[in-house]
Amino acid sequence: MAEQKKIEKTALRDVVAVLYITKDNAEFVKDNDFVAMTLTAPNDEGTMETKTYDRIFLHRAFPFDYPYAYISVLDADSKELGLIANVDDLDKEAAEMLRQELDRKYYTPVIKQILSLKDKFGFSYWKVMTDEGELSFTLRDTFQSLMKVGGTRIFVNDIDGNRYEIPNIEELDRKSFRKIELFL
Amino acid sequence: MTDKQWYFDPGNPSSVPPQLLPVLDEKGIPQDHIKLCFASDLNRDMIRCENYVLCTDSDIIVISGSMTLTKKVQSRLSTKNPLQRQFEVLTYDCFDLADLSGFRIEEQIASARFTAKDKDGHHVLISNLSNTYKADFNTASRYLGQLKENGEIKVDDEKRENWHDRAFCPKCGSKYIDEERKLCPKCMDKNKVIRRTGEFILKYKVSIVIMIAMLIMTGALGVISPYISSGFYYDEVLNENGQFFGAIKMVLGIIIGMRIFSLIINMFHNIVTSKIAARLVYDLKKVIFSSIERLSLSFFTNRQTGGLMTQVTRDANTIYWFFCDGVPYFLVNIVQIIAIITIMLFMNPLLTLLSLVTAPIVFIAIRLLFDHMGKYHAKRWTRSRQMNSILSDVLTGMRVVKAFSKEKDEITRFGKSSEAMAEAEKNASVFSTAAFPSVNLLFYISNLIVLGFGGWAVIQGKMTYGTLLVFTSYMNMIYSPMYSFVNMVYECTDSLNAMSRLIEIMDAKPDVVEAENPVHIAECSGKVEFKNVDFSYDKNRKVIDNVSFTVEPGEALGIVGHTGAGKSTLANLLIRLYEVDSGEIRIDDVNVKDLAMDDLRRNVAIVSQETYLFVGTILDNIRYAKPDATEEEVIEAAKIAGAHDFIIKLPDAYSTMIGFGYKDLSGGERQRVSIARALLRNPKILILDEATAAMDTETERKIQEALEKLSKGRTTITIAHRLSTLRDADKLIVIENGKVPEAGTHLELINKKGIYYNLYRLQLEAMKNIGIEE
Repeated sequence: MAEQKKIEKTALRDVVAVLYITKDNAEFVKDNDFVAMTLTAPNDEGTMETKTYDRIFLHRAFPFDYPYAYISVLDADSKELGLIANVDDLDKEAAEMLRQELDRKYYTPVIKQILSLKDKFGFSYWKVMTDEGELSFTLRDTFQSLMKVGGTRIFVNDIDGNRYEIPNIEELDRKSFRKIELFL
Repeated sequence: MTDKQWYFDPGNPSSVPPQLLPVLDEKGIPQDHIKLCFASDLNRDMIRCENYVLCTDSDIIVISGSMTLTKKVQSRLSTKNPLQRQFEVLTYDCFDLADLSGFRIEEQIASARFTAKDKDGHHVLISNLSNTYKADFNTASRYLGQLKENGEIKVDDEKRENWHDRAFCPKCGSKYIDEERKLCPKCMDKNKVIRRTGEFILKYKVSIVIMIAMLIMTGALGVISPYISSGFYYDEVLNENGQFFGAIKMVLGIIIGMRIFSLIINMFHNIVTSKIAARLVYDLKKVIFSSIERLSLSFFTNRQTGGLMTQVTRDANTIYWFFCDGVPYFLVNIVQIIAIITIMLFMNPLLTLLSLVTAPIVFIAIRLLFDHMGKYHAKRWTRSRQMNSILSDVLTGMRVVKAFSKEKDEITRFGKSSEAMAEAEKNASVFSTAAFPSVNLLFYISNLIVLGFGGWAVIQGKMTYGTLLVFTSYMNMIYSPMYSFVNMVYECTDSLNAMSRLIEIMDAKPDVVEAENPVHIAECSGKVEFKNVDFSYDKNRKVIDNVSFTVEPGEALGIVGHTGAGKSTLANLLIRLYEVDSGEIRIDDVNVKDLAMDDLRRNVAIVSQETYLFVGTILDNIRYAKPDATEEEVIEAAKIAGAHDFIIKLPDAYSTMIGFGYKDLSGGERQRVSIARALLRNPKILILDEATAAMDTETERKIQEALEKLSKGRTTITIAHRLSTLRDADKLIVIENGKVPEAGTHLELINKKGIYYNLYRLQLEAMKNIGIEE
């Protein structure tokens, strides 16, 4: 009887190397109003190389679930330099800097209260109280403009392409909820 | 802040908001030095406030701040005396214009950054903005570029006017909420909507007049018959003192006669209604559909096409209902009620007032009831929509569900949704079974009032028994249409919405319009020229950036590039599905904009990536482009396209029904049918946009050989990312990020060792790896 040799199957990570950016291989500094990064990583030929990017772009891989984890770091030509597993694992100072940069990029006023909501000729006109103060905006096709994430979280996309967030629809006050209820 | 938005006007760039003047004064900047000024709502620190970017000849100044007065005071002051508003400066930044270049709007998720580069090439943040101001800042960054380059800003007057027309309502001057949808909610008054639709309906005025006349007759009979059968019968026929005492037979005769008469009118009315209904709905749909067909493709990319057609159908029905059912019924009921009340007042004024006491209460109660009902219904509707979407999702993806054995999870998912739907349904029915009888109770109260007071009056001898009977039956006639009145309020809003959508579609102007005196070319020579063509689907991202190339008659051009580089867009621009932003596309030295649409599309045929086949036979589909083609021609075209062989193997050959619900062709087969369709048109210019991508290499080669033979005297433009597809091209252009970095023959490009060389090398290596060498 031929002896069956058990072959260990190749894991995905053996094939693809995802470069994680950590405090050991990267350094972040402020450059003008943006974040610059010095990264030591293998280049195309496979040798280690230290390079400074005077501006990096951050992109959330799972924006709704992990606002500060799985952050893709891109250079000015939108080429991915690596992933940050969790911003908070970096130095305190760097983490702060990146958190701010991310917050600014993903600027989304949080709706606390719906002051008025009128539906007219296929547009709906909203006046809301947000953490940024009172704002008003317009939606085209209200039903389509509300994006529901995970049951109770709602993103509102207005006609200009701005975005607002209702973190938990069930926590809205009764009056506000009544106004939005019809469109859910 | 958002109530009174201040918009940047490119025609009047020096208009500086008055609240900034003291700030400028303080810094020693004269107002007339300001060349540009535009506003945004996020400052450099991403704080929401009033933010202004100003520009002089030498500097860019960014001021942010906010009004310190309370909102109440502010609104009182703002319009009359704007200087009284106090502007508190938050930040003040100044940049040397000479140091900056490369102004750019960087899009973020829901906001944007206005950036530039300094002398050392480092990025500089000038300002932040929400997407509301993105268009303004795009213009601004263009002007800044001009200012830096030429020392002045050139505001193109024509463009400025267009810009103004595009963004502002011509009537009231306020900014459209949506530039794509020129609808100003201020100026869109309901009367106008009803009038415009009314004009459309007026085509059927004869039928509508007949309908209303018959409704009035039915109404009149409705008013008279209770009087005859109760009041008149008791007081005049059964009463010894009555004028017609004992004439029972006569009264019965009259009642029967009236019944029969009203039956006939009713039947006639129904016949007229159904005729006009079918006709009207058909006409409405036709009008909407033909308006839609007329519009350019960009209209459809801006909204969900799927929803459009169902919307059309629904809207047509809603409008029909409003004009042919709702309005006449409403009018007749109103007339009837007025008539009844007059008669009642005539018979007994006091009792009339008593019987109407509860009417307003009933009306309000019903209104409240419907409001609540509406919410329940909306909830039920959304949930059923959700349930249906899950259902269709799973049914279409059944293969995947089974492959990952997720059946149980899907059953749970569907179960949950179905349960939610059932819950909503239950709530709605519980509410309606409880609420409607309660409202009906109110009816009875008014009935009791009449019975009580009326009875008392009869006993007192102040009123006859017959009058009381007439009163009670009239009472029901007043109260029973109440539901439909309230319903009318809701249906009215619905149909107004439907009508405004209808008018919007009818009024929408296509942006690709045939020139007024188009140039006619029966058959062009086939020369194609792109001259500095720019194009973008939305204002912000250029898809085609300054592209120029020429294809001589009879030449074969190959276009190579990565996915999403803009290859297909070039083809769409050539056949003018979209209009170029700037630059020219010429065919035989005539700008395609000046060319007659028919001539353009006859001379140019395209086989695109997305092959769409209509429901019908294969023959119909091939013949689509040329309905008068003979069967021989069809077979010839199919042969060249390599479609004949597989078609002939089908049981019904060319008569095989394909499309939705019928036989499904494979990707490659569909492509072959669409190539045949394009060939049948016998165009001078043939565009193959990845037309053979879904076929195996052997079939592709066969078709290419046939096309090669056909290409004599014909210009062919082939778009492909498989380089082997382009082996016969006379000339190649490489497109990357909307630009053409490389152009030339295969050999030239190989020697250049650029992008094409790399692509070629990669594909060649792939071949070598499997043991094929060229």
